[in-house]
Amino acid sequence: MSETLPVAAFWILALASLGGAVAMMATRNVVHAAFWLLEVMLATAGIYLLLSAEFLALVQVLVYAGAVAVLTLFTVMLTLRRREDAVREFPVAWGSMAIASLFTGGILLVLARFRPALAQVPETIPGVEAFGEQMFTTWALPFELASIVLLAALVGAVWWTGGEDL
Amino acid sequence: MADVWRLIPEFLVLGGALVALFAERARSDSRVSAGIAAAFAAAAAVAAAVIGPGGDLFGGQLSLDHIAVFARVAIGALATAWLLWVWGRGVTGERCAEAAALALFSVAGGMLMASARDLIVLYVSLELSTIPAYVLMGYRRDDARGLEGALKYFLLSMLTSLVMLYGLSFVFGISGSTSYGQISLGAAGPLGQVAFVLVLVGLFAKLSAAPFHYWTPDAYAGAQAGAVAYVSTVPKIAGVVALVRLVGAMAPNVAGASGVLVVAAVFSMVLGNLAAFPQSDVRRMMAYSGVAHTGYILLATGAGTAGGPAAVFYAVAYAVPSMAVMMLAEEEGPALDDLGGLASRRPAVAWASLAWLLSLVGIPPVVGFFGKLYLFTSAVRAGFIWPVLVAVAMSVVSAGYYFRLIRSAFLGQRKGAPVVERRTSAATAFVLITVIVLALGVLASPVLAFLGMRF
Repeated sequence: MSETLPVAAFWILALASLGGAVAMMATRNVVHAAFWLLEVMLATAGIYLLLSAEFLALVQVLVYAGAVAVLTLFTVMLTLRRREDAVREFPVAWGSMAIASLFTGGILLVLARFRPALAQVPETIPGVEAFGEQMFTTWALPFELASIVLLAALVGAVWWTGGEDL
Repeated sequence: MADVWRLIPEFLVLGGALVALFAERARSDSRVSAGIAAAFAAAAAVAAAVIGPGGDLFGGQLSLDHIAVFARVAIGALATAWLLWVWGRGVTGERCAEAAALALFSVAGGMLMASARDLIVLYVSLELSTIPAYVLMGYRRDDARGLEGALKYFLLSMLTSLVMLYGLSFVFGISGSTSYGQISLGAAGPLGQVAFVLVLVGLFAKLSAAPFHYWTPDAYAGAQAGAVAYVSTVPKIAGVVALVRLVGAMAPNVAGASGVLVVAAVFSMVLGNLAAFPQSDVRRMMAYSGVAHTGYILLATGAGTAGGPAAVFYAVAYAVPSMAVMMLAEEEGPALDDLGGLASRRPAVAWASLAWLLSLVGIPPVVGFFGKLYLFTSAVRAGFIWPVLVAVAMSVVSAGYYFRLIRSAFLGQRKGAPVVERRTSAATAFVLITVIVLALGVLASPVLAFLGMRF
C-alpha cells in the first residue's frame, strides 16, 4: 500500500506530462498548444510534490503555470486577429528535431555518468515551513523590498499603457 | 529589529511616493504632487542627517556607516531639488504625479543601496532604483524617440543586470554567504576573477563606464532633459557607493582587481572627454562627460578602500551641478546654441551656471576642484601615477567643451528665445544646487574627514 500508491501516482503524472508534451506538439491550434503546455507544467509540479520537493512544486505552479503559461496565452491571444489564425500548418522541422534529440541525449548521458553524485541526496529536505520562516525573519528586508519593486514597476506599466483619462 | 526607526528616511520617501500618487485627487493640478513629494524628500534628507551614523541593521544586511549617511543625505537633497524644479516647470504635455512618485521610489532604492552590505539586498535595491528610471526616460508617451531611448536603456540595463546577477551567484557559490563580511574570492583563483568581472559589468553599465557606455548618449538625447537631470544623477550616487562597498568586499585577494578598474577608468576618461568635444546637443555632451566623470571615480575605486571616501564625495560633486545643467537644457532648449544670450535674458541663472560648469571642470573654489583633488590624491597614493596624469590632461580637455557652454551663455546671441516663466520653486531648486556647489567646496575637508578619508 505504502509503495503502490506513490508509484501509481508517479505513472499517472509521468504519462500526463509526456502525453501533454506530445499533444502540444501535435495540435495545430496555437491556443490549444498553450493549454497543453500548462498541463505539462502542472503535471511536472505534481512529480516534484511526489519527490517531497514542496517548494519546487510551489514555484513550478506559481512561476511556470501561473506566470509563464498565462503570459504565453496573452501573447498568442493579443497577436491573433481572427479565431482562424490560431490554426497553423504543421511543417516537419528536421533541424529542431535534431537539436531536441541531441539535448535529450546529452541529459541522459549526464544522468548516466554522474549517477553516484546524484545519489548523495540529504535524508530530509527542509520543507516549505522552514523556508517560509527563513524568508520572513532573516530575509524579511529583501522580501519587502521586492514587493516595493513590483509596486514601482506596476505604477510605471500603468503609466505607459494608460489612456489620456488616467 | 529595535533599530528599525533608523530607516525613517526610507519610510518617509515611500510614504511620500504613495501620497504624491494620489495627491491630485484633492487638487486638480497634478504639479502639486511634485511639491508634496519634494517636501517628503526634504524631510527624509533632514531625518537621515539627524539620525546620523548607527550600527548594522537586519543582522548586517544594512550598514548605516558614515558613507551611508552622507549618501542618504545627498540623495535626499538632490531629489528635493529635482522635485522642486518639477513642481515649478512640470513635465511638458504630461501629468507629473507619476513622475514624482516614481522618482521617490527610486530615491528609496538608492538610499537602501547606499547602505546595503548583502548581495541580495544590493541587487533588489539596485532594481528598485533603476526600474523607475526606465519609465522616467520615456515619460512622454507620445514621443517615439523618447520611448526608443527608454527601450534601449531598459534592454541594455536589464541584460547587464542579469550578467551581474550571474556573477553574484558565483560569488555566493564561492563564499557560501551573501554577506559582504564573509565574501572571499581569493581562494577560488580564476573563478574568483570571473565572478569579479561579471559583477562589475552590471555596475559599470549602470554608471556608464567605458566598455558599457554605448546606451548613454542615445538614451539621454532621446529623453527629455528634465528627466535625464534625475536619471543621470541620483541613481549614480548610490551606484558609486555600491561599487565602493562591493569592490572593498571582493577585490582583496583577487589578482588584477585594481588593474581592471584602472583600465576601465582610463578608457572612460579618454573616450568620454574626446567624444564630448564635438557634440552640439547639451544632452549628448553631458552623457559623454558623465562617462568621463565615471572614469575619474573608477580611478579612486581602483585605489581600494582608501579611495572610497574620495570616490563617493566626487560622485556627489559631479551629480549636483550636472543635474542643474540638464534642468537648464530643458528650460532653454537642448542645443548648445539655445543658451545664447542667457546672460542678458536671465543674468542670475547665467552666473549660477558659471559656478556649476566651473565645478564640472574642477576649478577652485567650487566643489568639483576639491573632489578631483582628493580623488587624484588617493589614486597617486595607490601608485597610479600615469593614470592620474591622463586624468589631469583630460580635465583640461573637458574645460574646452564646458567653456563652449559658458561662451554660448555669455557671448552668444539667440533670436526668438523662449520666454521662460519665473517660478519660485524652480528658482529655489537652482539656488539649492548652487548653494550645495559652493558650500561643499568650502566644507570639503571636514566632509571628507567625516567620510573617513585619511589626509
